[in-house]
Amino acid sequence: MDCAACQARNKGMADDARAAATLLSAPELKLDVATAFKRVQTAPAAKPRFGFSLPVMRPSTRPMFAGLGAAAIVVALALTAFANILPLFQPKTVQPVPVSFADLQSLQSLSAYGTLTWSTKPQLQVVLSAADAKAVSGLDVPVIKLPKGVSSTVTYAAMPKAVAVFTFDAKKAADAAATTGKPLPKLPSGIDGAKLTVTVGPAVVEVFGDMNATSGGNSNSQNINLPQLIVAKSAVPVVTSTQVTAKQLEDYILSMPGVTPQLAAAIRSIGDPATTLPIPVPVEYASSSKVSINGDPGVALGDNTGLGAGVIWIHKTNVFVVAGSLKQSVVVDIARNLK
Amino acid sequence: MGVNVEVAAEGRGRLVKTRDEAFEALFKSEYARVAGIANRVLADPQEAEDVAQEVFISFHRLHSASAQFAPAWLHRAAAHTALNRVRGRKRRERRELAQAAEEGSSTLDPQRMLEVGEDRRLVRAALARLAPKPAAVLVLRASGLSYAEVAQAIGVGTGQIGTLLRRAEAALRKEVTRGTSI
Repeated sequence: MDCAACQARNKGMADDARAAATLLSAPELKLDVATAFKRVQTAPAAKPRFGFSLPVMRPSTRPMFAGLGAAAIVVALALTAFANILPLFQPKTVQPVPVSFADLQSLQSLSAYGTLTWSTKPQLQVVLSAADAKAVSGLDVPVIKLPKGVSSTVTYAAMPKAVAVFTFDAKKAADAAATTGKPLPKLPSGIDGAKLTVTVGPAVVEVFGDMNATSGGNSNSQNINLPQLIVAKSAVPVVTSTQVTAKQLEDYILSMPGVTPQLAAAIRSIGDPATTLPIPVPVEYASSSKVSINGDPGVALGDNTGLGAGVIWIHKTNVFVVAGSLKQSVVVDIARNLK
Repeated sequence: MGVNVEVAAEGRGRLVKTRDEAFEALFKSEYARVAGIANRVLADPQEAEDVAQEVFISFHRLHSASAQFAPAWLHRAAAHTALNRVRGRKRRERRELAQAAEEGSSTLDPQRMLEVGEDRRLVRAALARLAPKPAAVLVLRASGLSYAEVAQAIGVGTGQIGTLLRRAEAALRKEVTRGTSI
Protein backbone atom coordinates (compact mmCIF):
# COMPACT_ATOMS: atom_id res chain seq x y z
CA MET A 1 0.00 0.00 0.00
CA ASP A 2 2.97 2.32 0.39
CA CYS A 3 4.21 2.09 -3.19
CA ALA A 4 3.98 5.28 -5.17
CA ALA A 5 1.63 3.74 -7.72
CA CYS A 6 -0.74 2.52 -5.01
CA GLN A 7 -0.74 5.89 -3.32
CA ALA A 8 -1.50 7.60 -6.58
CA ARG A 9 -4.31 5.16 -7.25
CA ASN A 10 -5.78 5.64 -3.80
CA LYS A 11 -5.60 9.39 -4.16
CA GLY A 12 -7.28 9.13 -7.56
CA MET A 13 -10.11 7.07 -6.09
CA ALA A 14 -10.57 9.47 -3.20
CA ASP A 15 -10.66 12.41 -5.62
CA ASP A 16 -13.24 10.60 -7.76
CA ALA A 17 -15.40 9.93 -4.72
CA ARG A 18 -15.23 13.55 -3.57
CA ALA A 19 -15.93 14.81 -7.07
CA ALA A 20 -18.92 12.48 -7.47
CA ALA A 21 -20.36 13.53 -4.10
CA THR A 22 -19.99 17.20 -4.97
CA LEU A 23 -21.24 16.79 -8.51
CA LEU A 24 -24.32 14.88 -7.39
CA SER A 25 -25.46 17.40 -4.81
CA ALA A 26 -29.11 18.22 -5.29
CA PRO A 27 -31.47 21.00 -4.26
CA GLU A 28 -33.29 20.45 -0.99
CA LEU A 29 -36.49 18.44 -1.17
CA LYS A 30 -39.46 19.55 0.94
CA LEU A 31 -42.05 16.81 0.96
CA ASP A 32 -45.67 16.63 2.01
CA VAL A 33 -46.12 12.86 2.15
CA ALA A 34 -49.85 12.93 2.97
CA THR A 35 -50.69 15.13 -0.04
CA ALA A 36 -48.46 13.04 -2.27
CA PHE A 37 -50.23 9.88 -1.13
CA LYS A 38 -53.64 11.38 -1.90
CA ARG A 39 -52.46 12.27 -5.37
CA VAL A 40 -51.23 8.74 -6.00
CA GLN A 41 -54.44 7.25 -4.64
CA THR A 42 -56.63 9.29 -6.93
CA ALA A 43 -54.54 8.59 -10.03
CA PRO A 44 -56.69 6.45 -12.31
CA ALA A 45 -53.85 4.05 -12.97
CA ALA A 46 -53.34 3.32 -9.29
CA LYS A 47 -56.08 0.77 -9.02
CA PRO A 48 -54.54 -2.35 -7.61
CA ARG A 49 -54.56 -5.42 -9.71
CA PHE A 50 -55.22 -8.74 -8.11
CA GLY A 51 -51.92 -10.48 -7.62
CA PHE A 52 -49.54 -10.54 -10.53
CA SER A 53 -50.90 -9.99 -13.97
CA LEU A 54 -48.97 -10.29 -17.16
CA PRO A 55 -49.68 -7.41 -19.50
CA VAL A 56 -50.48 -9.87 -22.25
CA MET A 57 -53.61 -10.82 -20.36
CA ARG A 58 -54.89 -7.30 -20.01
CA PRO A 59 -57.58 -6.11 -22.35
CA SER A 60 -55.62 -4.85 -25.27
CA THR A 61 -56.72 -2.44 -27.92
CA ARG A 62 -54.43 -4.21 -30.31
CA PRO A 63 -56.53 -7.05 -31.66
CA MET A 64 -53.53 -8.73 -33.19
CA PHE A 65 -52.52 -9.81 -29.72
CA ALA A 66 -55.90 -11.29 -28.96
CA GLY A 67 -54.86 -14.69 -30.24
CA LEU A 68 -51.72 -14.73 -28.16
CA GLY A 69 -53.62 -13.53 -25.10
CA ALA A 70 -56.23 -16.18 -25.59
CA ALA A 71 -53.59 -18.83 -25.96
CA ALA A 72 -51.87 -17.69 -22.77
CA ILE A 73 -55.12 -17.75 -20.81
CA VAL A 74 -55.97 -21.15 -22.14
CA VAL A 75 -52.56 -22.52 -21.20
CA ALA A 76 -53.10 -21.19 -17.68
CA LEU A 77 -56.49 -22.85 -17.60
CA ALA A 78 -54.97 -26.07 -18.82
CA LEU A 79 -52.53 -26.06 -15.96
CA THR A 80 -55.21 -25.42 -13.36
CA ALA A 81 -58.63 -26.50 -14.58
CA PHE A 82 -57.79 -29.70 -16.33
CA ALA A 83 -55.32 -30.65 -13.68
CA ASN A 84 -57.99 -30.12 -11.06
CA ILE A 85 -60.29 -32.72 -12.43
CA LEU A 86 -58.03 -35.60 -13.27
CA PRO A 87 -56.97 -37.72 -10.33
CA LEU A 88 -53.64 -39.45 -10.02
CA PHE A 89 -52.49 -37.19 -12.72
CA GLN A 90 -48.87 -36.57 -13.52
CA PRO A 91 -48.62 -35.63 -17.16
CA LYS A 92 -45.70 -36.80 -19.21
CA THR A 93 -46.80 -35.41 -22.53
CA VAL A 94 -49.05 -32.77 -24.05
CA GLN A 95 -51.89 -32.99 -26.54
CA PRO A 96 -53.89 -30.23 -28.24
CA VAL A 97 -57.66 -30.16 -27.79
CA PRO A 98 -59.61 -27.72 -29.94
CA VAL A 99 -62.17 -25.88 -27.80
CA SER A 100 -64.40 -22.84 -28.01
CA PHE A 101 -64.72 -20.41 -25.13
CA ALA A 102 -68.28 -21.62 -24.70
CA ASP A 103 -66.84 -25.07 -24.01
CA LEU A 104 -64.56 -23.70 -21.33
CA GLN A 105 -67.32 -21.73 -19.68
CA SER A 106 -69.53 -24.78 -19.50
CA LEU A 107 -67.01 -26.43 -17.20
CA GLN A 108 -67.33 -23.73 -14.57
CA SER A 109 -70.29 -25.42 -12.94
CA LEU A 110 -67.77 -27.80 -11.40
CA SER A 111 -67.52 -25.40 -8.47
CA ALA A 112 -71.03 -26.42 -7.48
CA TYR A 113 -69.81 -29.91 -6.62
CA GLY A 114 -67.65 -29.21 -3.65
CA THR A 115 -65.29 -26.84 -1.95
CA LEU A 116 -61.77 -25.83 -2.78
CA THR A 117 -59.27 -24.80 -0.14
CA TRP A 118 -55.61 -24.01 -0.52
CA SER A 119 -53.37 -25.76 1.92
CA THR A 120 -50.49 -23.78 0.43
CA LYS A 121 -51.64 -20.67 -1.37
CA PRO A 122 -50.14 -19.75 -4.72
CA GLN A 123 -47.86 -16.76 -4.27
CA LEU A 124 -46.46 -15.54 -7.52
CA GLN A 125 -43.80 -12.92 -6.84
CA VAL A 126 -41.99 -10.61 -9.15
CA VAL A 127 -38.32 -10.84 -8.28
CA LEU A 128 -35.27 -8.89 -9.29
CA SER A 129 -32.94 -11.52 -10.64
CA ALA A 130 -32.68 -15.08 -11.89
CA ALA A 131 -30.94 -15.96 -8.62
CA ASP A 132 -33.91 -14.65 -6.63
CA ALA A 133 -36.29 -16.55 -8.91
CA LYS A 134 -34.34 -19.71 -8.16
CA ALA A 135 -34.35 -18.97 -4.44
CA VAL A 136 -38.14 -18.61 -4.46
CA SER A 137 -38.96 -21.57 -6.69
CA GLY A 138 -36.02 -23.91 -6.32
CA LEU A 139 -35.99 -24.24 -10.12
CA ASP A 140 -33.06 -23.40 -12.38
CA VAL A 141 -34.15 -20.49 -14.53
CA PRO A 142 -33.95 -21.39 -18.25
CA VAL A 143 -31.18 -19.61 -20.12
CA ILE A 144 -32.44 -18.23 -23.39
CA LYS A 145 -30.71 -17.44 -26.63
CA LEU A 146 -32.59 -14.29 -27.59
CA PRO A 147 -33.31 -13.71 -31.26
CA LYS A 148 -32.48 -10.34 -32.78
CA GLY A 149 -35.07 -7.69 -32.07
CA VAL A 150 -36.15 -9.01 -28.69
CA SER A 151 -35.31 -6.67 -25.85
CA SER A 152 -32.94 -8.14 -23.27
CA THR A 153 -34.80 -6.26 -20.53
CA VAL A 154 -36.14 -9.09 -18.44
CA THR A 155 -38.60 -9.36 -15.57
CA TYR A 156 -38.53 -12.49 -13.44
CA ALA A 157 -41.45 -13.97 -11.57
CA ALA A 158 -41.36 -17.04 -9.41
CA MET A 159 -43.79 -19.09 -7.38
CA PRO A 160 -43.19 -21.76 -4.78
CA LYS A 161 -45.29 -24.90 -4.87
CA ALA A 162 -49.01 -24.36 -4.25
CA VAL A 163 -51.35 -27.07 -3.02
CA ALA A 164 -55.13 -27.03 -3.31
CA VAL A 165 -57.59 -29.55 -1.95
CA PHE A 166 -60.94 -30.01 -3.64
CA THR A 167 -63.55 -31.95 -1.68
CA PHE A 168 -66.60 -33.33 -3.48
CA ASP A 169 -69.85 -32.62 -1.69
CA ALA A 170 -72.95 -34.36 -2.99
CA LYS A 171 -75.32 -32.22 -0.90
CA LYS A 172 -73.83 -28.99 -2.18
CA ALA A 173 -74.17 -30.29 -5.71
CA ALA A 174 -77.82 -31.15 -5.19
CA ASP A 175 -78.52 -27.72 -3.66
CA ALA A 176 -76.79 -25.95 -6.52
CA ALA A 177 -78.76 -27.96 -9.02
CA ALA A 178 -81.98 -27.04 -7.23
CA THR A 179 -81.30 -23.28 -7.17
CA THR A 180 -80.16 -22.95 -10.76
CA GLY A 181 -82.97 -25.12 -12.03
CA LYS A 182 -80.56 -26.71 -14.44
CA PRO A 183 -80.32 -30.45 -14.30
CA LEU A 184 -76.79 -31.40 -13.34
CA PRO A 185 -75.63 -34.95 -13.75
CA LYS A 186 -75.63 -37.00 -10.58
CA LEU A 187 -72.29 -37.59 -8.91
CA PRO A 188 -70.94 -41.10 -9.38
CA SER A 189 -71.61 -43.27 -6.34
CA GLY A 190 -68.87 -43.22 -3.74
CA ILE A 191 -67.55 -39.87 -4.88
CA ASP A 192 -69.13 -37.86 -2.04
CA GLY A 193 -66.37 -36.70 0.30
CA ALA A 194 -63.62 -37.68 -2.12
CA LYS A 195 -60.64 -35.35 -1.97
CA LEU A 196 -58.48 -34.26 -4.86
CA THR A 197 -55.14 -32.80 -3.91
CA VAL A 198 -53.74 -30.60 -6.63
CA THR A 199 -50.13 -29.52 -6.57
CA VAL A 200 -49.18 -26.70 -8.90
CA GLY A 201 -45.66 -25.40 -9.38
CA PRO A 202 -43.11 -24.38 -8.32
CA ALA A 203 -42.72 -22.18 -11.36
CA VAL A 204 -40.52 -19.48 -12.82
CA VAL A 205 -41.46 -17.01 -15.53
CA GLU A 206 -39.18 -14.74 -17.56
CA VAL A 207 -40.81 -11.86 -19.38
CA PHE A 208 -38.69 -10.10 -21.98
CA GLY A 209 -39.52 -6.61 -23.18
CA ASP A 210 -39.28 -3.20 -21.64
CA MET A 211 -42.78 -3.08 -20.23
CA ASN A 212 -42.33 0.23 -18.54
CA ALA A 213 -40.71 1.83 -21.55
CA THR A 214 -41.99 5.32 -22.03
CA SER A 215 -42.53 7.25 -25.18
CA GLY A 216 -40.74 10.55 -25.42
CA GLY A 217 -39.54 12.39 -22.37
CA ASN A 218 -42.85 12.22 -20.57
CA SER A 219 -43.53 8.84 -19.17
CA ASN A 220 -47.07 7.69 -18.82
CA SER A 221 -47.83 4.83 -16.51
CA GLN A 222 -50.76 3.74 -18.63
CA ASN A 223 -48.56 3.22 -21.62
CA ILE A 224 -47.26 -0.27 -21.00
CA ASN A 225 -45.69 -2.18 -23.81
CA LEU A 226 -46.55 -5.79 -24.34
CA PRO A 227 -43.86 -8.32 -23.60
CA GLN A 228 -42.05 -9.64 -26.63
CA LEU A 229 -41.29 -13.03 -25.19
CA ILE A 230 -42.44 -15.07 -22.21
CA VAL A 231 -40.63 -18.19 -21.07
CA ALA A 232 -42.16 -20.21 -18.25
CA LYS A 233 -41.07 -23.37 -16.52
CA SER A 234 -43.17 -25.17 -13.96
CA ALA A 235 -43.15 -28.54 -12.30
CA VAL A 236 -45.95 -30.57 -13.87
CA PRO A 237 -49.19 -30.30 -11.94
CA VAL A 238 -49.76 -33.40 -9.87
CA VAL A 239 -53.19 -34.51 -8.73
CA THR A 240 -53.89 -37.25 -6.25
CA SER A 241 -57.27 -38.49 -5.21
CA THR A 242 -58.73 -40.46 -2.34
CA GLN A 243 -61.71 -42.22 -3.88
CA VAL A 244 -62.12 -41.59 -7.57
CA THR A 245 -60.32 -42.67 -10.70
CA ALA A 246 -59.32 -40.58 -13.67
CA LYS A 247 -61.77 -42.43 -15.86
CA GLN A 248 -64.72 -41.85 -13.48
CA LEU A 249 -64.06 -38.14 -13.36
CA GLU A 250 -63.47 -37.79 -17.06
CA ASP A 251 -66.76 -39.52 -17.78
CA TYR A 252 -68.48 -37.34 -15.24
CA ILE A 253 -67.12 -34.06 -16.58
CA LEU A 254 -67.99 -35.04 -20.11
CA SER A 255 -71.57 -35.74 -19.08
CA MET A 256 -72.05 -32.18 -17.82
CA PRO A 257 -74.47 -30.00 -19.75
CA GLY A 258 -72.79 -27.65 -22.18
CA VAL A 259 -69.95 -29.95 -23.12
CA THR A 260 -70.31 -30.34 -26.86
CA PRO A 261 -69.99 -33.78 -28.44
CA GLN A 262 -66.98 -32.47 -30.38
CA LEU A 263 -65.16 -31.48 -27.19
CA ALA A 264 -66.07 -34.74 -25.49
CA ALA A 265 -64.76 -36.67 -28.49
CA ALA A 266 -61.56 -34.63 -28.54
CA ILE A 267 -60.89 -35.25 -24.85
CA ARG A 268 -61.68 -38.96 -25.17
CA SER A 269 -59.28 -39.24 -28.09
CA ILE A 270 -56.38 -38.16 -25.86
CA GLY A 271 -56.00 -41.64 -24.51
CA ASP A 272 -54.72 -42.04 -20.98
CA PRO A 273 -56.07 -39.07 -19.01
CA ALA A 274 -53.65 -39.71 -16.17
CA THR A 275 -50.48 -38.93 -18.09
CA THR A 276 -51.44 -36.46 -20.82
CA LEU A 277 -51.85 -32.74 -20.29
CA PRO A 278 -54.57 -31.52 -22.63
CA ILE A 279 -53.76 -28.13 -24.15
CA PRO A 280 -57.03 -26.45 -25.02
CA VAL A 281 -56.65 -24.52 -28.27
CA PRO A 282 -59.26 -21.80 -28.76
CA VAL A 283 -60.58 -22.50 -32.23
CA GLU A 284 -61.62 -18.88 -32.68
CA TYR A 285 -58.13 -17.48 -32.27
CA ALA A 286 -55.40 -19.96 -32.73
CA SER A 287 -54.34 -23.03 -34.58
CA SER A 288 -52.17 -25.78 -33.22
CA SER A 289 -49.69 -28.24 -34.57
CA LYS A 290 -47.50 -30.90 -33.06
CA VAL A 291 -43.79 -30.22 -32.86
CA SER A 292 -40.82 -32.00 -31.40
CA ILE A 293 -38.64 -30.12 -28.91
CA ASN A 294 -35.39 -32.05 -28.71
CA GLY A 295 -37.25 -35.32 -28.72
CA ASP A 296 -40.14 -34.30 -26.45
CA PRO A 297 -43.52 -33.92 -28.14
CA GLY A 298 -44.87 -30.40 -27.92
CA VAL A 299 -47.84 -28.36 -29.07
CA ALA A 300 -47.19 -25.22 -31.10
CA LEU A 301 -49.89 -22.57 -31.06
CA GLY A 302 -50.49 -19.59 -33.26
CA ASP A 303 -49.43 -18.94 -36.79
CA ASN A 304 -46.42 -17.91 -38.79
CA THR A 305 -47.30 -14.27 -39.32
CA GLY A 306 -45.19 -13.04 -36.40
CA LEU A 307 -48.21 -11.72 -34.54
CA GLY A 308 -48.05 -14.29 -31.82
CA ALA A 309 -47.01 -17.87 -31.28
CA GLY A 310 -46.30 -20.20 -28.44
CA VAL A 311 -45.09 -23.70 -27.76
CA ILE A 312 -45.70 -25.90 -24.75
CA TRP A 313 -44.02 -29.19 -23.93
CA ILE A 314 -43.04 -31.42 -21.06
CA HIS A 315 -39.45 -32.40 -20.42
CA LYS A 316 -38.97 -34.89 -17.60
CA THR A 317 -40.99 -33.44 -14.71
CA ASN A 318 -41.33 -29.87 -15.94
CA VAL A 319 -43.78 -28.10 -18.23
CA PHE A 320 -42.21 -25.43 -20.43
CA VAL A 321 -43.96 -22.62 -22.26
CA VAL A 322 -42.31 -20.24 -24.72
CA ALA A 323 -44.63 -17.63 -26.17
CA GLY A 324 -44.24 -14.23 -27.72
CA SER A 325 -45.14 -11.77 -30.41
CA LEU A 326 -42.83 -13.63 -32.76
CA LYS A 327 -43.05 -16.05 -35.66
CA GLN A 328 -43.78 -19.61 -34.75
CA SER A 329 -40.51 -20.78 -36.26
CA VAL A 330 -38.61 -18.32 -34.02
CA VAL A 331 -40.50 -19.44 -30.92
CA VAL A 332 -39.81 -23.10 -31.66
CA ASP A 333 -36.15 -22.26 -32.26
CA ILE A 334 -35.92 -20.53 -28.87
CA ALA A 335 -37.59 -23.56 -27.27
CA ARG A 336 -35.09 -25.93 -28.83
CA ASN A 337 -32.14 -23.84 -27.61
CA LEU A 338 -33.31 -23.44 -24.04
CA LYS A 339 -30.59 -24.34 -21.56
CA MET B 1 -61.08 -23.52 -13.27
CA GLY B 2 -64.46 -22.27 -12.16
CA VAL B 3 -63.50 -23.34 -8.70
CA ASN B 4 -60.34 -21.28 -8.60
CA VAL B 5 -61.98 -18.23 -10.10
CA GLU B 6 -64.74 -18.20 -7.52
CA VAL B 7 -62.46 -18.72 -4.57
CA ALA B 8 -60.35 -15.84 -5.80
CA ALA B 9 -63.43 -13.62 -6.13
CA GLU B 10 -64.66 -14.41 -2.61
CA GLY B 11 -61.37 -13.39 -1.05
CA ARG B 12 -60.98 -10.33 -3.18
CA GLY B 13 -62.71 -7.76 -0.96
CA ARG B 14 -60.63 -8.66 2.06
CA LEU B 15 -57.40 -8.87 0.11
CA VAL B 16 -57.89 -5.52 -1.58
CA LYS B 17 -58.31 -3.88 1.79
CA THR B 18 -55.13 -5.34 3.21
CA ARG B 19 -53.36 -4.56 -0.04
CA ASP B 20 -54.34 -0.91 0.26
CA GLU B 21 -53.25 -0.77 3.87
CA ALA B 22 -49.94 -2.38 3.04
CA PHE B 23 -49.47 0.04 0.16
CA GLU B 24 -50.13 3.06 2.34
CA ALA B 25 -47.59 1.86 4.90
CA LEU B 26 -45.04 1.25 2.15
CA PHE B 27 -45.70 4.67 0.65
CA LYS B 28 -45.23 6.44 3.96
CA SER B 29 -42.02 4.64 4.80
CA GLU B 30 -40.40 4.88 1.36
CA TYR B 31 -41.74 8.01 -0.33
CA ALA B 32 -39.06 10.35 0.98
CA ARG B 33 -36.29 8.02 -0.11
CA VAL B 34 -37.79 7.35 -3.55
CA ALA B 35 -38.31 11.08 -4.16
CA GLY B 36 -34.78 11.70 -2.85
CA ILE B 37 -33.30 9.29 -5.38
CA ALA B 38 -35.21 10.93 -8.22
CA ASN B 39 -34.14 14.36 -7.00
CA ARG B 40 -30.53 13.24 -6.89
CA VAL B 41 -30.78 12.42 -10.60
CA LEU B 42 -32.95 15.29 -11.75
CA ALA B 43 -31.86 18.07 -9.39
CA ASP B 44 -35.44 19.27 -9.68
CA PRO B 45 -37.66 18.71 -6.61
CA GLN B 46 -40.95 19.06 -8.46
CA GLU B 47 -40.06 16.67 -11.26
CA ALA B 48 -38.57 14.31 -8.67
CA GLU B 49 -41.94 14.11 -6.92
CA ASP B 50 -43.66 13.42 -10.24
CA VAL B 51 -41.27 10.54 -10.83
CA ALA B 52 -41.69 9.20 -7.28
CA GLN B 53 -45.47 9.16 -7.61
CA GLU B 54 -45.30 7.52 -11.00
CA VAL B 55 -43.03 4.83 -9.59
CA PHE B 56 -45.44 4.10 -6.72
CA ILE B 57 -48.39 3.94 -9.10
CA SER B 58 -46.59 1.44 -11.32
CA PHE B 59 -45.59 -0.60 -8.32
CA HIS B 60 -49.08 -0.68 -6.87
CA ARG B 61 -50.54 -1.79 -10.14
CA LEU B 62 -48.13 -4.67 -10.58
CA HIS B 63 -47.06 -5.90 -7.18
CA SER B 64 -48.10 -6.55 -3.64
CA ALA B 65 -46.83 -3.94 -1.18
CA SER B 66 -46.03 -6.67 1.30
CA ALA B 67 -43.53 -8.24 -1.12
CA GLN B 68 -40.05 -8.48 0.30
CA PHE B 69 -38.50 -6.88 -2.74
CA ALA B 70 -40.75 -3.79 -2.57
CA PRO B 71 -38.19 -1.22 -1.32
CA ALA B 72 -35.46 -2.50 -3.66
CA TRP B 73 -37.89 -2.39 -6.60
CA LEU B 74 -38.91 1.17 -5.78
CA HIS B 75 -35.32 2.37 -5.42
CA ARG B 76 -34.26 0.88 -8.71
CA ALA B 77 -37.35 2.11 -10.51
CA ALA B 78 -36.84 5.64 -9.12
CA ALA B 79 -33.25 5.74 -10.37
CA HIS B 80 -34.09 4.33 -13.80
CA THR B 81 -37.22 6.39 -14.37
CA ALA B 82 -35.41 9.58 -13.41
CA LEU B 83 -32.39 8.70 -15.57
CA ASN B 84 -34.74 8.03 -18.48
CA ARG B 85 -36.24 11.47 -18.04
CA VAL B 86 -32.80 13.02 -18.20
CA ARG B 87 -32.03 10.97 -21.31
CA GLY B 88 -35.25 12.29 -22.82
CA ARG B 89 -33.83 15.76 -22.46
CA LYS B 90 -30.69 14.66 -24.24
CA ARG B 91 -31.10 16.70 -27.37
CA ARG B 92 -31.57 19.91 -25.47
CA GLU B 93 -28.64 19.06 -23.26
CA ARG B 94 -26.46 18.45 -26.29
CA ARG B 95 -27.13 21.97 -27.48
CA GLU B 96 -26.28 23.27 -24.04
CA LEU B 97 -23.08 21.27 -23.99
CA ALA B 98 -22.04 22.76 -27.29
CA GLN B 99 -22.72 26.22 -25.92
CA ALA B 100 -20.76 25.50 -22.77
CA ALA B 101 -17.85 24.33 -24.88
CA GLU B 102 -17.91 27.58 -26.83
CA GLU B 103 -17.76 29.47 -23.59
CA GLY B 104 -14.56 27.60 -22.84
CA SER B 105 -15.30 25.67 -19.65
CA SER B 106 -12.66 23.04 -20.24
CA THR B 107 -11.44 21.93 -16.84
CA LEU B 108 -13.12 19.99 -14.10
CA ASP B 109 -13.37 21.72 -10.78
CA PRO B 110 -16.37 20.37 -8.89
CA GLN B 111 -16.61 23.39 -6.62
CA ARG B 112 -16.54 25.85 -9.47
CA MET B 113 -19.00 23.80 -11.47
CA LEU B 114 -21.58 24.12 -8.73
CA GLU B 115 -21.15 27.82 -8.69
CA VAL B 116 -22.57 27.90 -12.16
CA GLY B 117 -26.23 26.90 -11.88
CA GLU B 118 -26.39 25.58 -15.42
CA ASP B 119 -23.59 23.12 -14.71
CA ARG B 120 -25.78 21.09 -12.41
CA ARG B 121 -27.75 20.09 -15.46
CA LEU B 122 -24.61 19.28 -17.41
CA VAL B 123 -23.64 16.90 -14.63
CA ARG B 124 -27.03 15.22 -14.95
CA ALA B 125 -26.54 14.87 -18.67
CA ALA B 126 -23.16 13.24 -18.02
CA LEU B 127 -24.77 10.92 -15.49
CA ALA B 128 -27.39 9.90 -18.03
CA ARG B 129 -24.66 9.03 -20.53
CA LEU B 130 -23.16 6.46 -18.16
CA ALA B 131 -24.27 2.83 -18.53
CA PRO B 132 -27.47 2.19 -16.52
CA LYS B 133 -25.85 0.12 -13.77
CA PRO B 134 -23.01 2.47 -12.77
CA ALA B 135 -25.39 5.43 -13.01
CA ALA B 136 -27.86 3.70 -10.68
CA VAL B 137 -25.11 2.72 -8.22
CA LEU B 138 -23.88 6.31 -8.00
CA VAL B 139 -27.32 7.79 -7.55
CA LEU B 140 -28.51 5.25 -5.00
CA ARG B 141 -25.37 5.52 -2.91
CA ALA B 142 -25.43 9.33 -3.08
CA SER B 143 -29.05 9.17 -1.87
CA GLY B 144 -27.92 7.56 1.36
CA LEU B 145 -28.64 3.89 0.66
CA SER B 146 -26.33 1.38 2.33
CA TYR B 147 -24.11 -0.91 0.26
CA ALA B 148 -26.56 -3.75 0.98
CA GLU B 149 -29.54 -1.69 -0.15
CA VAL B 150 -27.79 -0.58 -3.33
CA ALA B 151 -26.86 -4.21 -4.02
CA GLN B 152 -30.46 -5.35 -3.59
CA ALA B 153 -31.80 -2.60 -5.80
CA ILE B 154 -29.54 -3.38 -8.72
CA GLY B 155 -29.48 -7.13 -8.17
CA VAL B 156 -25.80 -7.81 -7.47
CA GLY B 157 -23.91 -9.09 -4.45
CA THR B 158 -23.05 -6.59 -1.71
CA GLY B 159 -19.37 -7.44 -2.17
CA GLN B 160 -19.40 -5.98 -5.68
CA ILE B 161 -20.70 -2.57 -4.70
CA GLY B 162 -17.37 -1.08 -3.59
CA THR B 163 -15.73 -1.82 -6.93
CA LEU B 164 -18.79 -0.79 -8.94
CA LEU B 165 -18.98 2.46 -7.03
CA ARG B 166 -15.32 3.35 -7.54
CA ARG B 167 -15.52 2.64 -11.23
CA ALA B 168 -18.73 4.62 -11.52
CA GLU B 169 -17.24 7.60 -9.71
CA ALA B 170 -14.25 7.60 -12.03
CA ALA B 171 -16.53 7.21 -15.05
CA LEU B 172 -18.72 10.12 -13.99
CA ARG B 173 -15.75 12.38 -13.45
CA LYS B 174 -14.36 11.45 -16.83
CA GLU B 175 -17.72 11.91 -18.51
CA VAL B 176 -18.20 15.35 -17.00
CA THR B 177 -14.70 16.38 -18.09
CA ARG B 178 -15.31 15.01 -21.57
CA GLY B 179 -18.73 16.62 -21.80
CA THR B 180 -17.45 20.03 -20.86
CA SER B 181 -14.33 19.95 -23.03
CA ILE B 182 -15.89 18.92 -26.33
